[in-house]
Amino acid sequence: MNTLLEFHGVAKAFPGVRALEDVTFRLDAGEVCALAGENGAGKSTLLGILGGSHAPDAGSLTIAGSRRTVHTPRQALADGVQIAQQEPAVVPLLTVDQNLQLGLSRAERRELAPRTGRAYEDLRAMGFPLAPDAKVIELSPAERQALGVVRALARATRVVALDEPTTSMVESNVDRVLECIRKAAVERSLGVLYVSHRMREVMTVADSVVVLRDGAVNLRSAIDQTDEHTIVERMVGRQILQFSRESSVRPGASPVMRVRDAVHPRGNRPISLEVAPGEVLGIAGLVGSGRTELLRSIVHADDGARSTVEIEGRPVHLRNPRDARSAGIAFVPEDRKKQGLVLGAPTYLNVVMTAGGEFSRLGFVRRRSERLAARAVTERLALSPRDVTLAARQFSGGNQQKVVVAKWVWRDSAVYLFDEPTKGVDVGGKVEIYQAIDRLAADGKGVVVVSSELPELIALCDRVLVMREGAVVAEHVKDSINEEDLVRSAMGLTKDGK
Amino acid sequence: MSSTKISTRRRTVNPQAVGVVAATVLIFVVFSVLSPAFLGLDNLRDLAISACVNAIIGLGLTFVIITGGIDLSVGSTASFVGVVSATLMVKADMPSIPAIAVGLVIGCLCGALNGILITRLRLQPFIVTLGTMSVYQGLAYVVTNGVPVYNIPADFTTMLNGYVGGVPVMVIIVLVLGVLAWALLRRTLFGENVLATGGSDETAWLSGVRVARVKVLVYMIAGGCAALAGLILVARIDAAQTDGGSPYLLTAIASAVIGGANLMGGEGRISGTLLGALILAALTNGLVLLNVPSFYEQIVTGVVVVLAVSLDRSAGYLRFLRRPPSRSGSDAQPVEQEATA
Repeated sequence: MNTLLEFHGVAKAFPGVRALEDVTFRLDAGEVCALAGENGAGKSTLLGILGGSHAPDAGSLTIAGSRRTVHTPRQALADGVQIAQQEPAVVPLLTVDQNLQLGLSRAERRELAPRTGRAYEDLRAMGFPLAPDAKVIELSPAERQALGVVRALARATRVVALDEPTTSMVESNVDRVLECIRKAAVERSLGVLYVSHRMREVMTVADSVVVLRDGAVNLRSAIDQTDEHTIVERMVGRQILQFSRESSVRPGASPVMRVRDAVHPRGNRPISLEVAPGEVLGIAGLVGSGRTELLRSIVHADDGARSTVEIEGRPVHLRNPRDARSAGIAFVPEDRKKQGLVLGAPTYLNVVMTAGGEFSRLGFVRRRSERLAARAVTERLALSPRDVTLAARQFSGGNQQKVVVAKWVWRDSAVYLFDEPTKGVDVGGKVEIYQAIDRLAADGKGVVVVSSELPELIALCDRVLVMREGAVVAEHVKDSINEEDLVRSAMGLTKDGK
Repeated sequence: MSSTKISTRRRTVNPQAVGVVAATVLIFVVFSVLSPAFLGLDNLRDLAISACVNAIIGLGLTFVIITGGIDLSVGSTASFVGVVSATLMVKADMPSIPAIAVGLVIGCLCGALNGILITRLRLQPFIVTLGTMSVYQGLAYVVTNGVPVYNIPADFTTMLNGYVGGVPVMVIIVLVLGVLAWALLRRTLFGENVLATGGSDETAWLSGVRVARVKVLVYMIAGGCAALAGLILVARIDAAQTDGGSPYLLTAIASAVIGGANLMGGEGRISGTLLGALILAALTNGLVLLNVPSFYEQIVTGVVVVLAVSLDRSAGYLRFLRRPPSRSGSDAQPVEQEATA
């Protein structure tokens, strides 16, 4: 076989952390290799070295037979290496076409023209038929990710690295994206490094898998000689509990929250729903189906987003998220960096930001009680490191998500609304967040979970509402919740597939 | 391991703070070597007095800048308040204390108007305060017709420009105000809300912080501080000039920025702003002692501002390098690593 890329004894240390240690493996032409590992295992550092943005402390990489010791982003591009980030590097104010051509010289544009054409075909095949003159700012996160993927595929001549390229997509699109990636790898003899937390994607798309743990290769195997269980085990280095929970719905109890006519100006039609004490209600649907907007209309987070809400049988008058907070509604938003956290502020300040006056006397805060409270709740979520005085940005993505969850679960609310509570969180972190959700339900709280990950909804929920185009189109109850039915409802298909 | 005892305090030194202090010390050492008169008691007193107006306006601005805003109208507010209070005392024979009170109230109202326009109309702070800068300056001209107000009552000037035990009153005012501002920012719920709003106002809003109220209040603080500065300016030069405050806008912003305030919001230190004002005053004072033509002072000031901000950046980098691996013995991540993984 034709080896395209070889990491040889690559090591990289950041102050205080050994990010990579003696990483050695090969990638062949036409091979899709899944790169798996928990948050902090060294995946992003490895991609950084491949892309030339980090210099390795030791070791080398060889691309198509030539050894690179000094490696810069320019060199990587010249070597035909492309990296698509999870949050794609697209320019919002330019069009789809301008983004595809961005940074290319005239000659390169001519040369790449056939492959750019191919990019549009790929987009259509992925289920994102984007017009060349559509402005990127108007695209959904999923469409942007797809654009990032096809751009990387179109430009790469040797190696493509895709860093969780499907986190904003729903499963029906994911399958088609994976298919396009496979096809590109085989037809154009590209080597693909595919980073993902989703085992299903890894098993579907990859020929082989490399598992990183604490910066070292902990498993290198052809995909058909291993299985999900082994991979996950090598990732976490301990036996992983499959999560399941006992339903804690209190039968016959009156709803803890009743929402009527929740509307959102981004196109949600009036929706009404009820949540029983101890119930975990899931909201499924494609990205853009109005799931986030439904939650935001319950807490009145946007202009014109409104609803009539009763908490524990009493009507509450809500005008903004602050009113919702006082009425006993906790809302954990989707985007942890922009909506969930103040990244530069210490963790404890983030956690007690929802407190109002609880930790202050006459307007003066009691630092010690703030820190103790933050410490107590973050410990229950196994935040790591445990130092709550560190700034939020000093934590890995999964741990940042735990801080966002911590921010709301320490408060005694009646209802907890979670929007994608485990987006980009590794397996171990997911279980800890699920346990927190389970504890809330067991306490008789109402819980609503919006998620794109169907296994998550199936594991957590007592009941799932499916949304499509701003309306609730289906309802599935505990034992009849399965992936196939959820996908069908979300896509608007009936049983016979029409 | 921190697990053996509950460590809720953090004993680390902020290298950014160290940077400003080091710069201040360096400037003082250099000038005292070059000019023996620099460290003389009288000169230090003059230096401190000349730092006061910048320091006070800068303190108010620090709050605004931390929320991610900017207030370009503070210079005009200072001028406007100065001429109004002076006119009340000189033309309407109002006693000093009520005239000061009226001035401070007007300053806060000017700030509140900025804040209300910014939050209600959802306009950019730069645009709104660019507008009100002109409006407040115009109002000052309306009051005076462009003629300075002289014959300021002596009790007013001694109250703000006098000495208590050899220490200038305005220096005492600055120090007291500094302590109050620090306590407000670092020890109160309001201060936490200011920091949260500046870090991410969407996050603060979804957390239940009254973001609009916080913003109106910080502009009120900036307006109130500008008013106080305007009054001190009148006392210092014994006259109210119609545009007396306007030169202090940019130097006050510079003080805050030298002190580590980040114009993107979320960061800023009270002590930093005070030191920033001191650095600018020391530069002016020192260069005068060295008989450097005053045009050069502007050049030096500009270079210092840019230098301070770039040092600030590298101090942030140093902090990143020096961060201990972990205080609780587990896997801290380097900042940009795996942030999205």
